[in-house]
Amino acid sequence: MDKAQNEKQLKINPELFQPAEYDPSKVEVITRPSLTFWKDASRRLLQNRGATFGLILLTIILCFALFAPIFSSYKYSDQNLRHAKLPPKMPYIEKLGVMDGKDKDGFDWYATKKVDKYYYFGTDDLGRDQWTRIWTGARISLLIGLIAASVDLLIGVMYGGISGYYGGRLDTIMQRLVEVLMGVPYLIVVILFILLFEEPGVLTISLAMVVTGWVSMSRVVRGQILKLKNQEYVLASRTLGSPDGRLIFKHLLPNVMGPIIVMTMFTIPSAIFAEAFLSFIGLGIKPPLASLGSLVSDGYKSIRTYPHLMMYPALVISSLILSFNLVADGLRDALDPKMRK
Amino acid sequence: MGRYVLQRLFYMVFTLFLITTLTFFLMKLLPGSPLQNQEKLTAEQREVILEKYGLNDPVPVQYVRYMKNLVQGDLGISFKYDNREVSTIIGERIGPSAQLGFQALMIGTLIGILLGSIAALRHNTWVDYGSTVISVLGISVPSFVLAALLQYYVGVELRWLPVAMWKGFEYTILPTLALSVFVIAQVSRFMRTEMIEVLHSDYILLARAKGISGSGIILKHALRNALIPVITILGPMAVNLMTGTLVIERIFAVPGLGEQFVLSIMVNDYTIIMGITIFYSALFILIVFIVDILYGIIDPRIRLAGGKS
Repeated sequence: MDKAQNEKQLKINPELFQPAEYDPSKVEVITRPSLTFWKDASRRLLQNRGATFGLILLTIILCFALFAPIFSSYKYSDQNLRHAKLPPKMPYIEKLGVMDGKDKDGFDWYATKKVDKYYYFGTDDLGRDQWTRIWTGARISLLIGLIAASVDLLIGVMYGGISGYYGGRLDTIMQRLVEVLMGVPYLIVVILFILLFEEPGVLTISLAMVVTGWVSMSRVVRGQILKLKNQEYVLASRTLGSPDGRLIFKHLLPNVMGPIIVMTMFTIPSAIFAEAFLSFIGLGIKPPLASLGSLVSDGYKSIRTYPHLMMYPALVISSLILSFNLVADGLRDALDPKMRK
Repeated sequence: MGRYVLQRLFYMVFTLFLITTLTFFLMKLLPGSPLQNQEKLTAEQREVILEKYGLNDPVPVQYVRYMKNLVQGDLGISFKYDNREVSTIIGERIGPSAQLGFQALMIGTLIGILLGSIAALRHNTWVDYGSTVISVLGISVPSFVLAALLQYYVGVELRWLPVAMWKGFEYTILPTLALSVFVIAQVSRFMRTEMIEVLHSDYILLARAKGISGSGIILKHALRNALIPVITILGPMAVNLMTGTLVIERIFAVPGLGEQFVLSIMVNDYTIIMGITIFYSALFILIVFIVDILYGIIDPRIRLAGGKS
């Protein structure tokens, strides 16, 4: 191997030996966007197939609950006795042989009664459009869930926060009360409080659920605060002279946010379930207003002759609770991998 | 241990006392009256009835009397069923409810354990996913929806099992199934997580290293340890079954306690509502207590007294 050939192969030239650009001020620059806790959590959430499915399902139901009653040509309370008890009929889908206006024996009621309108989910015994009623009912159920969950959140966080943060004798007394409240079966209390009101509305039903509902939230918050309040960053802030309020709102609460959100997400479906339960024993929303629970309950009464009156609200309420549960499960895993249980 | 049990017993009595007091005054605040449905009462008849039930006395006097009777196991007499004692009615009604609850708890726990363990052993396979889907569905579909569907399809359409009533074992199958689905879902979910955790622990690795066969490891080591925490959810489960029976019994026309409770709510039969509420609360408190004690006995790692703080 001769020298010339070797040089040609290596192609070494002085330009390769320039000193690298070195700027001490730029060494510590972060080149990629940093992942905050919430970004990280949302990434973990979307990786979870169940949670993603739940989110999509929840979004669909929310959209229908918000917009379907607006765009519907009927109102939830509009009665039309001549159109009573019609089976479901939906444009386009009717060609597939389902929801084509025929009852379970294959009898076309729309032709017999000379109805040229479409009732997507059929009509009830007063001729009210079931489609509008179901989505209005979904609104009511969601509203009850949201109110119950937010009041739970407010009371639970305050109670648990005070109990955990101040500790000592106050904590002992407050926890005794919590133990007593935990000793009462949840739905029984709700029933007793509903009985207090002659005409239970959305607000009274939601508030009845709060009576003992906030207890579990307060326990979660108290546990977390107890764990966090002696952490170094809290002690450091305290040493620097932060007042209690600053410690609680600036340092403690943001770190308890994860469990609080998860707990709230579990409260909403259980409140929706509780309302449906109440409707089923005749203590829920009164007509003409409807909730998903009261629709299921009304539909159950005529399940043998008109199964569609129960099937559709049952399907919607089950999917709603399912989607909340899936998202809550996913959130729990995403926000605190240690809490997995 | 003895001290702990005594302390717990004291709190149980105290809790029950508070619940009773609260229920009593709530009942006094209720807007309706058990007499309002019988329109044909004259003023004098009304007076006689009020006198008979002691409803003319001041509320504190009524309260003391109620508490005195309660301590002796007397829950008063029903407004609707002439002169029948509430405690007798509860006694008559508890049988079917207890049977349903017990069957559902047994079947639910057994299937739940089985499903959860299999899912954990076949972690991240389609078996695992299938069992997870079943448990999520079981938690999400309300029990009364399931009960109504079972009744309609199995009872009415297929005619495999009786639709309703309470005349023998085959009448208990559908309500038991409807009640147990939630139990299956909860237990299998819990069991799966516990089992996965146990299977990854060091002592399982040691057992494997010693050459114990696969089934030996699972039955003797993994299953036993994974089962212990499952006991803790039996308390909430029992409550769930209790309230579940309220609607399930109504749907299947089971002459149980839950059905009686709902019936009494509709006709404002306050003494029965109170009696059953107190009974349910007492039962719940007792179950939680027993579960706590059991947990301490089964798992010696849990120290009951001084375990908190």
